[in-house]
Amino acid sequence: MRRLHPELLQWYGLFGAALAWAAQLVVGFGVAYADCTAASRHWGLDVVTWVIVLTVVGVAFGVLAEAAALSILFETRQLGYADAPPQGRRHFFAYGAALGNVLFLTGMLITAVGALSNATCRPA
Amino acid sequence: MRSRPERLELIWAERPGLLGWLTTVDHKRIGLLYFFTTLVFFAAGGIEALLIRTQLAGPNGKVLSPEAFDQVMTMHGVTMIFLFVIPMTTGAFGNYLLPLMLGARDMAFPRLNALSYWLFLGSGVFLYAGLLMGKGPNCGWFCYTPLNTKEYDPGLNADFYALGLIFNGLSTTAGALNFIVTIFKLRAPGMSFNRMPLFVFAMLAVSLSLVFALPPLTIDLAFLELQRQAGFHFFDVAGGGDPLLWQHLFWLFGHPEVYIIILPAMGIATSIIPTFAKRKMIAFPLVALAELLVAFIGFGVWAHHMFTTGLPVGALIFFAAASMMVVIPSTIQIYAWLFTVNLGRPEFRAPLLFIGGFIALFVIGGLSGIMFAAIPFDQATTDTYFVVAHFHFIIFGAAVFPILGGMYYWFPKVTGRMYHERWAQVSFWVTFVGTMLTFFPMHIVGLLGMTRRVYTYHSGFGWDAYNFVETVGAFILAAGLLIIFANLLWSRFRGAPSGPDPFYGGTLEWATSSPPPSYNFAVIPTVSSPYPNWDRAEAGVALDHGHETAATTVRDGRLDEVLKMPAESGWPIVLAFAVTILFIMLLTAHVVVAGIFAGIAGLVLVAWHVHEPAEG
Amino acid sequence: MTSVPYTERSAKPNGWWGMAVFVATEATLFGTLIGSYYDLRFRTPHWPPPGVPDPKVAVPLVLLAVLVAASVPVQLASVFARAGRVGATQLALLTALVLQSGYLAMQIHLFVDDLNRFSPQDTAYGSIYFTLVGVHHAHVLVGLLLEGWLVLRLFRGITEYRTVGVRATAFYWLAVNVLAIAVTIVQLSPSL
Repeated sequence: MRRLHPELLQWYGLFGAALAWAAQLVVGFGVAYADCTAASRHWGLDVVTWVIVLTVVGVAFGVLAEAAALSILFETRQLGYADAPPQGRRHFFAYGAALGNVLFLTGMLITAVGALSNATCRPA
Repeated sequence: MRSRPERLELIWAERPGLLGWLTTVDHKRIGLLYFFTTLVFFAAGGIEALLIRTQLAGPNGKVLSPEAFDQVMTMHGVTMIFLFVIPMTTGAFGNYLLPLMLGARDMAFPRLNALSYWLFLGSGVFLYAGLLMGKGPNCGWFCYTPLNTKEYDPGLNADFYALGLIFNGLSTTAGALNFIVTIFKLRAPGMSFNRMPLFVFAMLAVSLSLVFALPPLTIDLAFLELQRQAGFHFFDVAGGGDPLLWQHLFWLFGHPEVYIIILPAMGIATSIIPTFAKRKMIAFPLVALAELLVAFIGFGVWAHHMFTTGLPVGALIFFAAASMMVVIPSTIQIYAWLFTVNLGRPEFRAPLLFIGGFIALFVIGGLSGIMFAAIPFDQATTDTYFVVAHFHFIIFGAAVFPILGGMYYWFPKVTGRMYHERWAQVSFWVTFVGTMLTFFPMHIVGLLGMTRRVYTYHSGFGWDAYNFVETVGAFILAAGLLIIFANLLWSRFRGAPSGPDPFYGGTLEWATSSPPPSYNFAVIPTVSSPYPNWDRAEAGVALDHGHETAATTVRDGRLDEVLKMPAESGWPIVLAFAVTILFIMLLTAHVVVAGIFAGIAGLVLVAWHVHEPAEG
Repeated sequence: MTSVPYTERSAKPNGWWGMAVFVATEATLFGTLIGSYYDLRFRTPHWPPPGVPDPKVAVPLVLLAVLVAASVPVQLASVFARAGRVGATQLALLTALVLQSGYLAMQIHLFVDDLNRFSPQDTAYGSIYFTLVGVHHAHVLVGLLLEGWLVLRLFRGITEYRTVGVRATAFYWLAVNVLAIAVTIVQLSPSL
């Protein structure tokens, strides 16, 4: 497989999991909200299905982002975070992204657990 | 043949006297204008706080009538958030320090910078005009519907609120835009993204947050005015509206706003700690990224302010999960700060003491905050003093303490003199004790059932003693603040000369004189780390033949362009004046005249752009 | 002493970045308006409410096509300005201005027509409809004023400052076009 451009890997590693988490939150909340209001109940949305799909796709997207970040980190492992750009800068972003992605992946999982255990229109 | 500093001084010096201040576009002068103006609003907000505490010192208080209390309580919140903390951290600290830390001679858009200040001043005067007329905002700082409708709040109070905050938002948006472009383009050559100081990362996070958080507030307030003044239906059920729409839009702004309040304070802390611990920040990339992460995740938690509205649990659970996640980046930062201090050789001078106090108060406030992520707990404590305790520990403890520490830290840079160290340490302890006494009992009295925003309470609930202690604490806190300001005022005239770098700081503001000259740096430095003042100096670019500074590429900081900068201009203050009149006309429903002033504003903008900086 | 004149600049100019941030604000504004539209729509099974006609589809879509087509001369103006061709830039801007003014005039006619059939003061549907569409038209008007001012300024010749102005305006119009598509879809959504 042809090696992807490191700049692309850097940006995807930084933003991929974050965007996946944001999508799970916004779309998941929107579906859950719409499912429980008078006007949109008939749209036939199934919260559980949506949450499962959003989580599976989101986690996959996030895992790939983490892989991208780790690959840059590995490639630049000899460098320090303040070293000359572009490689030093990519190392810096990858270092932060590697941990940030773990946070977003964990976040997507706990959100799924919460949403699937509480998929009800009962007021909180 | 003049020397370089003489040449640069001739190019960059502004007019002397009052006219110079009214037409200034120098970021340092604008920073000082913001500083003194926000201090006046801080005093106003503080007096409002003391009035509240005096009224609540004992049961059946008679100091303020219910109507007066509503206005004082609302204005306390509005003043502290919109007219003190945000303009102080962004307008004062951000404006003064950002170009210096970046190695630039000014912000990207100097005239826009001046406009931000004059709009801010106009909006503050507008809001206080309402209060002084007895028609001040009175619906709480988040002014929920239906309390904010013409039916329940018929006077001009809610209109002052809505229009005043839209007005204030214009200033803040302009400032945020300026910060983002400055951070992206005006860094010193060599300062790639990974070599920016942590304060700059914090300012970038704040500015990006503001850009995306303010529009929901603007829309919410515009909807409110359209409903109140033009009879539209957005929030009223009878007209097909949704009362919760107000809350969704408000908190879409309001939650990021609280991170906007705290992020610059974290930036100040991450500037002070390495200097006084005498070592670089541990896990620098994690701290830098944590600042951006807090801002980003902060956009996904807004409905945790709505756990008691009856929304379905299936929808609200998303926000409970996100609210638990948002703690992690802040925790990473706290550990990094503590490790840095412990692994360094810390010198506990006043700025570091304030940061120590900040960390302690931030942990307490953060712990009570994370408790609200659990929906059942939140439902038991919503609208009680437990919430008031939480956010005061965060806003006062975690936002204001770094501001106070930062005032001491950068005082030598701005004035060229040292503050009095011993009295500064005393001022810290008095302020810290006052803060704990004022806000800690609020946790207890909240759990005992005291609700927020009450103008008084009856005896017999077990609240009396706690409230009394809180009031005593508030006056001790006020005394601590007075000691700080007395110290700074005295030191301004009698302090020992400080020299350019009294604390051996690592960032570029310490590489120039105290106070900095009008042109900041005689030579724009070349940079190779986030602590350039601790590195060996490298060759830079002089740019001493015109009103110029350097622009670099966004990611890697390579020298890219020589920017021509504008000289002082009267158009920003004229435009701000026109906009102020525009808002007054909207307040009094003179729509046609408002339209005329909008047109005048447009003409001023044309005149502003007629003079191009390259023409000299 | 190094000197890098702007003609060799590789990053986007400051003015372009400033417009990009401004566009981000305005896009968020429209996102909020559209979100509010759907929040209000979720609450009622009848949308539009009884007594309010469904939105017409054909004419707004044709007008949208006209607006999007007018984006071609605007982007061309940016290309001509960077090449230093003043006359071509002015002509491109003027062409766009004429097309877009025609668009706006027709839209205002439709707006007034709608106001005669239902009122923002009667229902939430009316309130959000007229606010969303009205804010969009206001942005188009601002775009027209920017183009008009640039055409006049360019009679004094082309400078780097004015070139950046043209580039920034072209970016503004790109954003207005994208937002126009979003707003029109939302506006017409009950009939689609």
